Amino acid sequence: MADRTVSRKTVLKTAAAATAGFGIPAFLPRIGEAAADLPIGLVEPTTGIYATYGEYERAGIAMAVADWNARGGVMGRKVVTFSEDDENDPGVGVQKARKLVQQDHCVALIGTINSGISLSVSGAANSLGVMFMDSGGHTDDVTGKNCNWNTFRVCHSTWMETHATGYDLAQRFGKKWYIITPDYAFGHSLYDGYVDVAKQIGVDIIANDLVPLTLTDFSPYLTKVQSAKPSLLIVLNQGDQFVNALKQAAAFGIQKTIPIGGPQVELEAVEALPPEARVGFWGVEWYYDSPLSVGAAGSAGRRFVAAYKKKYNKTPSARSAFGYIAMDRVLWSMAEAKSTDAVKTCKALENARFNSIFEGTSYFRKEDHQMMWPMLIGEIQPNGTASDKDNLFKIIGAQPADKVEQTIAEKAKVCTITYPS
Amino acid sequence: MLEQLAPQIVNGLMLGAFYASVAIGLSLIMNLTGVINMAHGSFLTLGGYFSFAMVAAGAPFWVALIAAPILTALVGLALERGLMRPLYGRDPLYSLLLTFGLSLIAEEVYRLIWGSNGVPVSAPAALQGGISLGTFQVPTIQVFTAAILVVAMSALWLFLNRTRYGLRLRAAVQDTEMIAALGTNTQTLYMVNFGLGVLLAGLAGVLAASQLGLNPTSGNALLMPAFVTVIVGGMGSLLGALAGGLLIGMTISMMTLFFPAASDVSMYVIMAVILLIRPRGLFGEEGLFG
Repeated sequence: MADRTVSRKTVLKTAAAATAGFGIPAFLPRIGEAAADLPIGLVEPTTGIYATYGEYERAGIAMAVADWNARGGVMGRKVVTFSEDDENDPGVGVQKARKLVQQDHCVALIGTINSGISLSVSGAANSLGVMFMDSGGHTDDVTGKNCNWNTFRVCHSTWMETHATGYDLAQRFGKKWYIITPDYAFGHSLYDGYVDVAKQIGVDIIANDLVPLTLTDFSPYLTKVQSAKPSLLIVLNQGDQFVNALKQAAAFGIQKTIPIGGPQVELEAVEALPPEARVGFWGVEWYYDSPLSVGAAGSAGRRFVAAYKKKYNKTPSARSAFGYIAMDRVLWSMAEAKSTDAVKTCKALENARFNSIFEGTSYFRKEDHQMMWPMLIGEIQPNGTASDKDNLFKIIGAQPADKVEQTIAEKAKVCTITYPS
Repeated sequence: MLEQLAPQIVNGLMLGAFYASVAIGLSLIMNLTGVINMAHGSFLTLGGYFSFAMVAAGAPFWVALIAAPILTALVGLALERGLMRPLYGRDPLYSLLLTFGLSLIAEEVYRLIWGSNGVPVSAPAALQGGISLGTFQVPTIQVFTAAILVVAMSALWLFLNRTRYGLRLRAAVQDTEMIAALGTNTQTLYMVNFGLGVLLAGLAGVLAASQLGLNPTSGNALLMPAFVTVIVGGMGSLLGALAGGLLIGMTISMMTLFFPAASDVSMYVIMAVILLIRPRGLFGEEGLFG
């Protein structure tokens, strides 16, 4: 019998490869589209912990593409998309952004979920000279110290999320907070936002535990929370980590004695939780069943929800809305500028008022390219409503964007938009 | 800080038991066949999904706890017979690549069947809540997981040491060619061994789904701690898997108390230290895997 021994080195190499390897996507070179088509590149995760969110964003993007193509496309050109998996890795995100622009000739990029990737793709898009519409990476830096002329953001900044929720949470649950923070750009940015709120209203942040992004088991952290007895536990983690943290918090019985909340919750994550773990007051960015978010019957938001449910047979999430708005605005800017030139399209977007699939009017602020739209606060309904089991949030308030985002003067200290000459 | 020590120690033990339960099956398969089963996490996920599907169909959790691992093992056996068997005796990289490919395929299959989003899995009512230990509580599901681990390890030890088949398995680990020459069908031994490993993965998967989220990649997230546990404890050692799991669990728990940002990386530091001072792991047999 041939030798079947496994060297220890092989095991170690395997273990190392496993970490990187589980996100490896199928990389298939594509044949370029016809010249008449208008190719837009999507950098979204299709594997890894944020794959679900990527799927919902792409679903929203597809709705916008279908709408524009049904109206004859943009400048008579049919809109087509090229999608690449960012593998939840900033470096891969850059590679894929370059591939989309240089190989697939995409004239604009849309994505991502992970804030770190939004930052890296923003930088890559800047060097490539194309517009990047950050649909779902929330860290302040995207429209803060790392802002640039070609990057715009649809989702709310972490500053908006924390300042929309922080005061309300303190009022409801007191001022002794324990924060669990994912250890990357998004988490740090959220934490900074809450520190600012805490300074203003005298909240005592008794602990801020950094959680590695690869961690699955939160029990050691929750053991600490149990001992610390805060008046509020704030969980900043998202995706699978949010699910694991909330589920284990329920197992520890924490929600019975310590209120839980935070700046952001995603419908996808709450759906993945069993009812006993669906608790808390959270920031919500868009919600399919609230007049505060999608307006009254017959509104564009309600029509989007109906069309989305018909097309995908499921409920749209905030990610779906981000995707729709991001693609819609990119295409609108090209139609408005009558060009795909990045400088012209970016300038067309600045301060241009628009209505979309949410209540009210919005715009991308000229000074930092942040989309200014209301931030919602919601309480989780563990079992939905009698008529709709997916209706997991009760939206209890909306905060106008200009009340929760940093002022133009504050942003000017860290962000200056300068176009290439 | 001191009052937090006791809860963290208890949690470290529970966490360690959980990691050990994930690692045992991996260690068992590696031990006899030399297969580095990169699909171990996928079998974990499958066990969780089978359990979820059964409970959703109205079966009691306790039935799912037994039936889901068995179904997972049946899938494992089919794969072993159809795909793994031709690769025994070849360079281990073949089976490594095969199982890695299988894990990627499995992820997509789970996505097609159960969707890309996670599914809500509740622990049964009897395992919800906590057990009070004075000033703190330990989740009942954690204690149950540790108890199942003890039962599974005891049963496995009895099987390997007190049954004729188990003795043959152990003998095959020592010298496959000799036991084949003595008339034992080693292919059947391999199959039983692989099936047992996958059965244990399925069992760990049911327990993991009751504690953590369940989605197409959730088992893969537990693969790295399992590998580290096996390497630290010593490849091919049941006691090693337990000791490795407890050491890793305790280290992560303590590190969370003092330096949370390094909690995850601490297990790799432990692994590096163990490899430097005792390359075969705490309870690994020297020379078993070269």
